[in-house]
Amino acid sequence: MIETATQGVISGVMMGAIYALIALGLSIVFGVMNVTNFAHGEFVMLSMYLSYVVGTALAWDAVVTPVITVPLLFFFGIITYHLLLHRTLRQMYVVQLAVTVGLQILMRSAALIVWNAQPRALQYSFIQGNFEIGGFTILTSRLVAAVVSLLFIGGIAYFLNKTWAGKAMRAASDDFDAASLMGVNYKRTYALTFGIGSALTAVAGGLLMSFQQTDPVGGIRFGLLSWCVLALAGLGSIPGLVVAGIIVGVAEALTVSFFDPRSRLLAVYAIFILVLWLRPRGLFGRR
Amino acid sequence: MNAKTLTSRRNLFLLGGVLLAALIPLALGKNQYAMVLVTTVLLYAVLATAWNIIGGMAGQLDLAAAAYLGLGAFTTGTLLMRWNITPWLGMIVGGITAAGLAFLIGFPLFGFKIKELWYALSSSALVEVMRVLFLMWDQVGGPTEQYLPAGLSAWYSLRFNNYVPYYYIMLVILIAVLILTTRIRYSKLGYSLLALGEDEDAVEVLGVNSQAAKLKALMIYAFISGVVGGVYACLYGYLHPSFFSTSMSMEVAILGIVGGMGITYGPALAAIVMVSFREFLRANLGGGMEGLYLVVYAVILIVVALYQPRGIAPLLERGIKYIKTYFGELRHGRPADAESR
Amino acid sequence: MDAQPMLKVDNLTKKFNDLVAVSDVTFEVRPGEIVGLIGPNGAGKTTLFNAITGLYKPEAGRVTYKGVNITGLLPHKICKLGMSRTFQVTRAFAHMTVEDTVRVGAYNRCGEKNVQAKVDQVLGLVEMEDIRGRVCSDLGLASLRKVELARALATEPDMLLLDEAGAGLNATELGAFMALIQKLNRDYHITFCVVEHVMQMVMGLCHRIVVLESGEVIATGTPNEISANQRVIEAYLGKRAVRC
Repeated sequence: MIETATQGVISGVMMGAIYALIALGLSIVFGVMNVTNFAHGEFVMLSMYLSYVVGTALAWDAVVTPVITVPLLFFFGIITYHLLLHRTLRQMYVVQLAVTVGLQILMRSAALIVWNAQPRALQYSFIQGNFEIGGFTILTSRLVAAVVSLLFIGGIAYFLNKTWAGKAMRAASDDFDAASLMGVNYKRTYALTFGIGSALTAVAGGLLMSFQQTDPVGGIRFGLLSWCVLALAGLGSIPGLVVAGIIVGVAEALTVSFFDPRSRLLAVYAIFILVLWLRPRGLFGRR
Repeated sequence: MNAKTLTSRRNLFLLGGVLLAALIPLALGKNQYAMVLVTTVLLYAVLATAWNIIGGMAGQLDLAAAAYLGLGAFTTGTLLMRWNITPWLGMIVGGITAAGLAFLIGFPLFGFKIKELWYALSSSALVEVMRVLFLMWDQVGGPTEQYLPAGLSAWYSLRFNNYVPYYYIMLVILIAVLILTTRIRYSKLGYSLLALGEDEDAVEVLGVNSQAAKLKALMIYAFISGVVGGVYACLYGYLHPSFFSTSMSMEVAILGIVGGMGITYGPALAAIVMVSFREFLRANLGGGMEGLYLVVYAVILIVVALYQPRGIAPLLERGIKYIKTYFGELRHGRPADAESR
Repeated sequence: MDAQPMLKVDNLTKKFNDLVAVSDVTFEVRPGEIVGLIGPNGAGKTTLFNAITGLYKPEAGRVTYKGVNITGLLPHKICKLGMSRTFQVTRAFAHMTVEDTVRVGAYNRCGEKNVQAKVDQVLGLVEMEDIRGRVCSDLGLASLRKVELARALATEPDMLLLDEAGAGLNATELGAFMALIQKLNRDYHITFCVVEHVMQMVMGLCHRIVVLESGEVIATGTPNEISANQRVIEAYLGKRAVRC
């Protein structure tokens, strides 16, 4: 029993890093820009499908597909911002919710039409396989994905804290009137921020496609995951995001090991409600 | 505008609509397909009008209509199958159960200063959570369809072999819900909710318990959805976790938003137009393109949210006012002319 | 006037992460008084109000109202006990009419049967009967301030906290507003605590004044005492002004 638990924890930690990466994209958009993107999970779903398309069309390995999907999602994010989100900034909050809900439905239904309900997967990735450490199996794909996720998270953290562009993004979120007086073009900054947040999902998508399959309703699951991790972490702390991601990943893995594999969603949901009830600002939240 | 001015002309109009609606089965009764269509329209009209209470009045974007409907359906169906309890009673129990679920979800999420976002997110996941839960719950059927028994008499177990009785049941429920919504709108709860949607802090310092108000609205809406769920189960004649449909929940919310949040008859109107349109698409496109109606719905939602967040109904009201002034001028001449005589 | 204060604030501290907005503030308001809360911008006056009325939870300290500990209570509970307030930036219910706005407040104590009478009474008191059907987003500033006051009045408070209710009003409007507050204070026995920048209002209305600077109380006293207080002058005008 302890072995099952430990195995679950190991796999959960690795998945947690990936979840943290997905949540990071959301954290940038929500935490930095204060924009609520209900469709974030669908962006992940879209990235996975695009990885599938690129991977099958060019016979590329899943892990390599982000080379194309990242720019694609980046531009998709910028276009979405300009077309839909920019107008919602000065309106009532519910408008932003409604618009992004609409976007979510749009993306999900469009995916259903284009690819129908059959799950899609790519051929075996080169990072497939596993190895043993101390009697426990580690799936290489998960490990690589986790490491790459952490690298990207670290990179983004550096970008936000140390570079001018990153600081401009954060400044723009705090007070865009003041920031624009200081020479920061807030519309462009926001679009850029949203683009980056979207592009990050493409990295995660590519990594995920190396060992998972995708289907049109996967967006619900990724959406719930991202928001749950974000709620658990709270706003303003990137390391906190990693910790929260790991907690959720482990909880999910343990639920799968000891209960029904189908109940993974329930575990995440339960955490979500509990966090909102008992500690709405999250474990590491600033606000 | 207060309760008194509402009674006169508008009510006459509505009464006319009701009578018209009551006569429809006489014209279409033989056409099974048409009856399915109008009954479905009524179903969505009820759900959307009830949604208005939590969406339009309380300002919460609920995306879990099917969670409450499904729970009501399963409650009613299970009561009938296991203990032969008539769905007339069962649907009330179903409504109460749904309201109970609403309380569980709403209580933590409606706390003071918690943004509407969190309830919206939670509700969007709730439907799927319920679906998975019921898929795993073998005692109430799990993944297999459970057929409701025909039982003693058609009226006892609410199992009819054509749509006409269901149509009338739905119509009665719709009328009841419309009246209820109007009553709420002009009561303490209604005013409190409306103000809450404007400014939660301001309304709290005036003595309104915002959490309690939102919960009340949610539970009323959930109760109605649960009751409808009971009828839904009898209508389809079986129970299945697919009742917990995320797309249905989205549809209900869209109808509520597009129809005009807070205006009583708006969602019902939206239901008539958009559900008919949806069935039209479904009949003519078929195959994988069925999902297209949702794409159209989503686009409509986005457009309405961006350009007319108060929905279509205010536009309608303005249009009616415009027509009235136009005809008024025709009859009495323009005000300036009248004075100069 | 009774000996027991209506509102008693003891050692109240409110922090936002590391920023201390209100630090160890102690003061009281006695029944029937109009107490003014003044101080330069950023002194923490609105934060103090928010902490008292339940919109913020203080990190330390105690708020007692009519002998009941209301520290950290939810605003609606505080309103039920008899204290309400207005806001610095008017937070009207933009899409509601004046009448409906007042009605929301009236429901605090009235049931469906007598709510309309209460609404009519309050509208008459603030002389807004003629615009009862106007939507709040159509109103000018002076009217908006009166609506905020009216809806708080409708809750039948014993005490009202007004946050910069005089700001932006011209001389006539200000005079009328001040007269209204005095009437409410004398004839309807409502205790007031007002945050104000408009000196005319402060000096003309208040029985006592509490001065806040950088989150701390630096002086309390009658209007005459305060206007002569060196520390206060320094806070507003800077050290050099004191020498004049």
